[in-house]
Amino acid sequence: MIAVQSAVAGLLLGGLYALMAAGVSVTWGVLRIINLAHFGLILISAYLTFQFASEWGIDPILTLGLTVPVMFVAGGALQWAYDRLGVSELNSLLVSFGLLIATVQLVSNIWSADFQRMSAAVNPYATASLDTGRLVFPITTLLAFLIAIALIAGAHLALRRTFAGRALRALAEDRTIAGAFGIDHRRLGVLLGAVCGATAAVAGMLFALANALTPATAYEWFGTVFAVVILGGIGHLLGTLAAGLFVGALSGLVSVLLSPAAAPFVLFSAIVLALLVRPRGLFVRAVR
Amino acid sequence: MIVRGLAGIALAVGALAVLSLYRETLGVPVSVLALLTTMLFWVTQATSWNILSGYSGYFSFGQAAYVGVGAYTTAVLFGRHRLDFGLTVLIAAGLCAVLALGIGVLAFRLRSLRGEIFALLTLAVPFILAALARINGSIDGGQGIIVAVPDFPASIGLFQDFLYLVNLLVAGAAVAVAFLMARTRSGWALATIRDAEDVGEALGVATFRYKLTALVASAVIGGVGGSIFALQIGFVTVDSVFTLTVPLFVIVMSVLGGRTHWIGPVLGAVLVVLLQDRLTAADLLGWQPVILGGVLIAMVLAAPEGLYPRVRALLPASRRARPVDPSELDIRMSPVDGAETALVECDELTKNFGGVRAVAGLSLRIRAGELVGLIGPNGSGKTTLVSLLAGSVRPTGGTVRIAGRDTTGLPPHRIAHLGVARTYQIPRPFASMTVRDNVAMAIMFGREPERSLTRARRVATGHLAMVGLEKLAHAAPAALNLHQRQLLEIARALATAPAVLLLDEALAGLNPAEIDNAVEVIRRIHASGVAIVIVEHLLRVVRAVATRVVVLDRGSVLADGDPATVLADPAVVRAYLGKRSHA
Repeated sequence: MIAVQSAVAGLLLGGLYALMAAGVSVTWGVLRIINLAHFGLILISAYLTFQFASEWGIDPILTLGLTVPVMFVAGGALQWAYDRLGVSELNSLLVSFGLLIATVQLVSNIWSADFQRMSAAVNPYATASLDTGRLVFPITTLLAFLIAIALIAGAHLALRRTFAGRALRALAEDRTIAGAFGIDHRRLGVLLGAVCGATAAVAGMLFALANALTPATAYEWFGTVFAVVILGGIGHLLGTLAAGLFVGALSGLVSVLLSPAAAPFVLFSAIVLALLVRPRGLFVRAVR
Repeated sequence: MIVRGLAGIALAVGALAVLSLYRETLGVPVSVLALLTTMLFWVTQATSWNILSGYSGYFSFGQAAYVGVGAYTTAVLFGRHRLDFGLTVLIAAGLCAVLALGIGVLAFRLRSLRGEIFALLTLAVPFILAALARINGSIDGGQGIIVAVPDFPASIGLFQDFLYLVNLLVAGAAVAVAFLMARTRSGWALATIRDAEDVGEALGVATFRYKLTALVASAVIGGVGGSIFALQIGFVTVDSVFTLTVPLFVIVMSVLGGRTHWIGPVLGAVLVVLLQDRLTAADLLGWQPVILGGVLIAMVLAAPEGLYPRVRALLPASRRARPVDPSELDIRMSPVDGAETALVECDELTKNFGGVRAVAGLSLRIRAGELVGLIGPNGSGKTTLVSLLAGSVRPTGGTVRIAGRDTTGLPPHRIAHLGVARTYQIPRPFASMTVRDNVAMAIMFGREPERSLTRARRVATGHLAMVGLEKLAHAAPAALNLHQRQLLEIARALATAPAVLLLDEALAGLNPAEIDNAVEVIRRIHASGVAIVIVEHLLRVVRAVATRVVVLDRGSVLADGDPATVLADPAVVRAYLGKRSHA
């Protein structure tokens, strides 16, 4: 029973991984930018949520009203800069690695490297849980799961159904040809970066709801979330979601059956294996 | 050259050793020695990283794996079990070599491996090892391990002297290895991998072997450095060795100093450690990652080649290679004997891409001395056939034999060594090398490898003359126009001393005058005894040069014979021009 409980809990947590990964995956797939700085945006969002809620007593979920616009602009600006500076795919990995390291240190300089958590007084969600009789779920994880699914499904539909979405998929296929058909990759890229920034704000808030914060967490995401991005297939939203759930459930199970410290070992070994067997991602239908 | 360089490195090591050996006489403060020790540790690590990632372009985020394995080997075996310290260094080197072989054999065997995927794969390795160390009580178990001071001769002086000298020795060795690799065949092989890996492979560079060698060399150096790092920190924990700081530092150092030169990482390591020291003195250590991150970004964007090329530009101009006298040109052509033997034999060759059958049960024989025009409508499988013959694409079914040897499934460089050379539809020169060195690569790694770069360069000039590019020998490929680049492609392919040369639309996009010139070049090459397969859309060219024409349609041979007959064949005209124009 405890295995089922932890697998389901892991699965729910996987939704948050998937949400974090979605932004990275889409910018990589569509714009050929591997944006490690995305983890920095999530980290800042988590801390801003913490700050606004703790200082001003705003309901943590309502802080989205502040963080989403900020991150929307930040994500768009970042993408604009990548584009203006003509950053190549491999260089984007280096540049955004530099950005991430700098961001983590800045956060640490501002908020200190200690673990910090919103107090129960400002975070009414932290202690609530849903009891189904046999299984108990913290509200925070459940919330994270539902919002993540909703956002990813919405983004998937937007990519399929809207004009901008089709244009983005055309860009992902072939930037030059898309350009010849009048698709402005600059404007679309900035828009996409901005939307990804907004998802970072949501992911940061959801993380802050359930967890104590420390700047180094961003490096833990770096590992896990990248696993999700690659397993899901670069640029594939539904694959990312599936991979997030898979990774979450796997680490949940391993934590209980072996030990929490063993989770990264099993997880990363699984990633290496998966990369070797299916370099294009576990959930991508083979083309060619 | 090489001996002088090594002597220079040995001299530098000797001079630095004096600082410790005569420390008291010279009045060198111990704190300076400690700073230099840290610097040397990073020189070792950055050099280790650069041997793989700088030279070959495969970026690794996994440097911490070697530091960690090295440090834990010494911590467990020497710190806990009191094994001989020197022995643990050797064991660390061995373990890292095994680790690197494992990573390399798995990763570099992937046909679709891209640089980004390799970077992320190497990122996962330290995470796995850190978790392993944490959960395994016989390694660490989460407690950390104290490493005592080992025995060392009293004449050395303080423990800090010992640390310094050991680090100096290791860093000196690391730099010497990096220097040797840069100045010998492996350095050039890795440069072709960095610039255009599959082109290098097709010219005869055994890319897998060179990448693996670089990876193992990098790992061994990193592991030895990590092993002595355990002494330096005295207390080894998972967080102190398997940290992202390690890849951050080595990447910043190498990018800062310059990745393509052996001294780049040394320069970068010295600068970064000095910066660290100044920041510590100013009590601003908390800003260091911010500054390093900024430096990384600025360098990648503004000066991706690093500081070293700029420093060198300030030094007096280095000696330029003397121009080659055209009279000493020497071109080696190695036609295969016996004009009657089939040079290329394809039997029932098939290639499917997903559901698309690009080549369908194609059988073809090409004899020595032929000049075959390969024509056919778009999508008829011409380029796929070229790729199948050169080995860059593996057939779904059927066999290819070159000069009687079955080459099906052989890596492209082996096929190049059997005498197949190809050009690419869109020219793909090695961007970081001069025009002449592009050709010299093919001579160094081709069918009859010429080990000396100097001689290879001389021969290369001859090949450039064959295509009329000798005046541009010292130009960068970027300065060439399309026609010249296509001629460079041909010269480079020719320089592998092929028995059969595959020209894939080598005339595409040229103007009439350039085409006439290219046709002349092709005739000249053919006259020297090389069999040629030319994929071409311009029937005028095919008619002018080909001794035989093969028409492909939907992946199989539609017609095959002498040009006049084939080009007049109604079926060919129909396939090529459509029904209406036939009427």
